[in-house]
Amino acid sequence: MTEALSGRRVLIVEDESLVAMLLETILSDMGCAVVGPESNVGDGLRVVASEIDLDAALLDVNVAGQEVFPIAEALKARGVPFVFSTGYGESGLPEHWRGNPTVQKPFTDAAIRDALMAAMNMGMV
Amino acid sequence: MRKLAKTIDLVAAFDSSPNPYMLLDRDLRFAGMNQAYLDITQRTREALIGHHVMEIFAPGDAPDSEEEGRRLRASFDKVLSTGQPDHLAILHYPVLIPGPDGTPVFDDRFWSCTHTPIKNEAGEVTHILQHTSDVTDLLRLRYKIGEAEPTSALDAMVGGEVFQRAVKIEANNQRLEAERKQLTDMLMNAPGFVAVLNGPDHIIQFCNDACYRLVSHRDILGQPVRDALPELSDQGHLDFLNDVFETGEPVYGRQRAFALRHAQDGPLDYRYIDFAYQPIRDDAGHIVGIFVQGHDVTDVVLAAERQKLMIDELNHRVKNTLATVQSIAMQTARTHEDPSSFAAAFQSRILALSHTHDLLTRSHWEGADLRAVLEHETKAHGLGRLTLNGPHVALSPARALSLGMVFHELATNAAKYGALACGDGRVIVDWRLADQKSPRLEITWRELGGAPIPEPERRGFGTRLIERNVRHDLHGTVQLSYPSQGFCAEISLPLEMEIA
Repeated sequence: MTEALSGRRVLIVEDESLVAMLLETILSDMGCAVVGPESNVGDGLRVVASEIDLDAALLDVNVAGQEVFPIAEALKARGVPFVFSTGYGESGLPEHWRGNPTVQKPFTDAAIRDALMAAMNMGMV
Repeated sequence: MRKLAKTIDLVAAFDSSPNPYMLLDRDLRFAGMNQAYLDITQRTREALIGHHVMEIFAPGDAPDSEEEGRRLRASFDKVLSTGQPDHLAILHYPVLIPGPDGTPVFDDRFWSCTHTPIKNEAGEVTHILQHTSDVTDLLRLRYKIGEAEPTSALDAMVGGEVFQRAVKIEANNQRLEAERKQLTDMLMNAPGFVAVLNGPDHIIQFCNDACYRLVSHRDILGQPVRDALPELSDQGHLDFLNDVFETGEPVYGRQRAFALRHAQDGPLDYRYIDFAYQPIRDDAGHIVGIFVQGHDVTDVVLAAERQKLMIDELNHRVKNTLATVQSIAMQTARTHEDPSSFAAAFQSRILALSHTHDLLTRSHWEGADLRAVLEHETKAHGLGRLTLNGPHVALSPARALSLGMVFHELATNAAKYGALACGDGRVIVDWRLADQKSPRLEITWRELGGAPIPEPERRGFGTRLIERNVRHDLHGTVQLSYPSQGFCAEISLPLEMEIA
């Protein structure tokens, strides 16, 4: 069932390198191609604005002291599904973004897979 | 009255009344009195006219005389200042009368007085009319019967009930007056805001010190709220007051923001206030005003906000730290198949994180000194084998944590494969600050005298962690080289950009 995400290009926005490395490892294990990881909102926005192919994104809500929502808006405009990662869980999100797939730190690979598949509207296989 | 005056001689009626009357001018000098008054006081008209009432009838020699004299005087003053009649239901006031041998003696008397203002056409008080009754006999009767026999019907009716009621009313009046003063003093000095608004326009009739302080001592007394505090009218408070006045339902607010403007075109001052607007009713139950109470809870609200921010921040950090630990565990496990070597490597990485936390805790998370971070992460390998050269550099908490991990990995690698693996190897760490305009920190980690280590074929987690930390977290560059004299790491990172 991990094959479902095989070959998908997933952008990571996460300011802590150790957490970013963990996400990379988990995504690589699922056969995804990692884009980034980007450590701040500016760099993340540049990737989204570029020609780089993206199938999905994993966004840390608080990156380098800034909220990640401008990137979420840009992804939404591009039609790229995304998953928030946060220490607070979904209740820590502003009203506007509740309901979007969210994983809570620390996370399991199953939680990340399920959230990505939910975001990409893929049924559980 | 005028018509009546034409048909009846009022002066003659006044003079022939069996009730004692006297008239005082504004200076409390006798302006007139009737015969009954002269009879009861045993004085002549000539002895009284033009003389000050308190001189003629100075307080007596009873224990309460001074206090009773003060009450009499206060009653006159009250009539002059308020223009309203005042009653003294019982006044214990001995008066001087000629004694048996001709010398004046105090005759113990009890009086019941009413003081009525007489006003001119402009409505100003020009005189006080006193109607006084000598109730000494009633009182004596009451005392005599009370002492001897059980209460009789007469006693109940006259000496008892009527008199007692009079005594009670008087006592009540005195108590109420004292309480009113006490209450006003209390409200005036209360720590909370207290104000009394009068009528449908909410005219500020009373306002205590705390209230004045809140509005920065603006002169608001006697003005409608709408004019006195226009900025509050726009914040819904005028609607609240109108609702209370119209419906009689009190309005309560908790931690509501009040934006006050102390000077015209000045900035708004935000205060958080718990408040209550309650209706004031007259005896008939009609709403005549609003009682306003409030309490500044700005400090409480701000403290709660700070606490929430701190808890959110703590939660964020704890969850992030757990994710970091999870990452270290997962990646350490991939390079250590043997459980005991995994445990050792995992533990030392967790301890490296913990050491930098200790340093930061000492500075209340304001930052840490670069040398202190280096010493902390390398001291397990023997301080004598490391030479640390460089100026004082204050690191932000995020930079300190990242560099702590980097130094830990460098030292671990040196101990496993490099200069610290054998007896006489050394490590020299040099750092300097470069570029005054956008300062950069440049660190060189150079190993000497160890066995030469070839460049590894596969980059382990430690090496990746160093590279990723410097590039990703510190926005810097890192160069790892493996010359024959020993391993070398050159790190350069900007110090200006703030990293969370």
